Amino acid sequence: VCFAFTSFDFKLLGHGNLKFCLLILNQPFDKGHFHCLWSKAALRACADGGANRLYHITEGSQDSFLPDYISGDFDSIQPEVKEYYKVKGCELIETMDQDLTDFTKCLQILQEKIEKKGLQIDVIVTLGGLGGRFDQTMASVETLFHATNITPFPVIVIQECSLIYLLQPGKHKLRVDTGLEGAWCGLIPIGNSCESVTTTGLRWNLTNQLLKFGTLVSTSNTYDNSGIVTIETDKPLLWTMAIKR
Amino acid sequence: SFSIFNSLSYFKNLVKKMSALRACADGGANRLYHITEGSQDSFLPDYISGDFDSIQPEVKEYYKVKGCELIETMDQDLTDFTKCLQILQEKIEKKGLQIDVIVTLGGLGGRFDQTMASVETLFHATNITPFPVIVIQECSLIYLLQPGKHKLRVDTGLEGAWCGLIPIGNSCESVTTTGLRWNLTNQLLKFGTLVSTSNTYDNSGIVTIETDKPLLWTMAIKR
Repeated sequence: VCFAFTSFDFKLLGHGNLKFCLLILNQPFDKGHFHCLWSKAALRACADGGANRLYHITEGSQDSFLPDYISGDFDSIQPEVKEYYKVKGCELIETMDQDLTDFTKCLQILQEKIEKKGLQIDVIVTLGGLGGRFDQTMASVETLFHATNITPFPVIVIQECSLIYLLQPGKHKLRVDTGLEGAWCGLIPIGNSCESVTTTGLRWNLTNQLLKFGTLVSTSNTYDNSGIVTIETDKPLLWTMAIKR
Repeated sequence: SFSIFNSLSYFKNLVKKMSALRACADGGANRLYHITEGSQDSFLPDYISGDFDSIQPEVKEYYKVKGCELIETMDQDLTDFTKCLQILQEKIEKKGLQIDVIVTLGGLGGRFDQTMASVETLFHATNITPFPVIVIQECSLIYLLQPGKHKLRVDTGLEGAWCGLIPIGNSCESVTTTGLRWNLTNQLLKFGTLVSTSNTYDNSGIVTIETDKPLLWTMAIKR
């Protein structure tokens, strides 16, 4: 049996030494998160209509916020937005696979570029993807499942006050004392039940607990005062938490 | 096989004028209070239930003074939504009401954990009430399909463009559909393998879905 420990410090995103790539999806996202993350990202990409969001949130100074590439089937990107970034020299990569979401395809290209450039990366941060259309929120979660086969780096998704991260089977350790955590957190057995989940550091901890839709799902949980959460799971389990803006 | 959603416009009328019962789950009362600003007394819920950790004190006081029933439910393992549904079913039975559907407003936006809690309640709903429970927020609707065959009318004019089938709590080994742009035939739906999102309709106006396990239907609705 193999255990993997993961630990990353959300505070360092945008402020310190954490190296990350930024992926922008087609959902409304927070200006605060955006500016904090854009400047420190090693690579920046938009998935299809994510380019519309970028274009509008940077109105007046779009040329200071040019993505390294925009990928997708281009059925969401507005023609004028596409033209603008094309003229500015951003790479436009059309991806026609209908079985994979724009997010998934964008992640595949990101991983290729990370390898090609030999970049050292700690985490891939995705902005948008959790609000608006319910099917698109689910598509974001689906991409996190595929991400394990696409990239070795952790992929997190942030939108407004929510963050999600798919925990692979094994043991995980998360620091939650950076001051950027909001009050709530949860463990969601999306896609499959988890026969045995054990945690520490939560207000309502679990011990070899079955998590399963229709039986028990951990929502509206919160933290004890230890500043560290550990989670051990036998199957993929979605961690979700509040982040401050 | 059975048919639901005979008319989405029927359901919208239901919410506006013809609701047999109206309830708020905890902080839902805050939402009701603010959206009916100026005429709150024309929009009084039959009851408000929950652990009351979200409802604002002045809102709680207002509805209490107006005679709305306040029911405190302390079970920490069940969501406010689930507990509210249990009480609703008791009242439906007590009043001997004929009901076609339970419409839930809100529950799909904002906090991600709360969206998941709404889905969890739909799983419990099968054991709480015999009536279909749907959840609507902004442009999204979700409905949990139990194993078997389902037929949905999608030609009422209130459908938006997209729809999807989400194997949210468990994989579905065999899903077969008609009426969609990208139909499935004995298809495995499973997170990490295939999830149907950004689907849409053919021109038949009817969607049929056959599934071996609970499967979440989601669709766009117009505002």
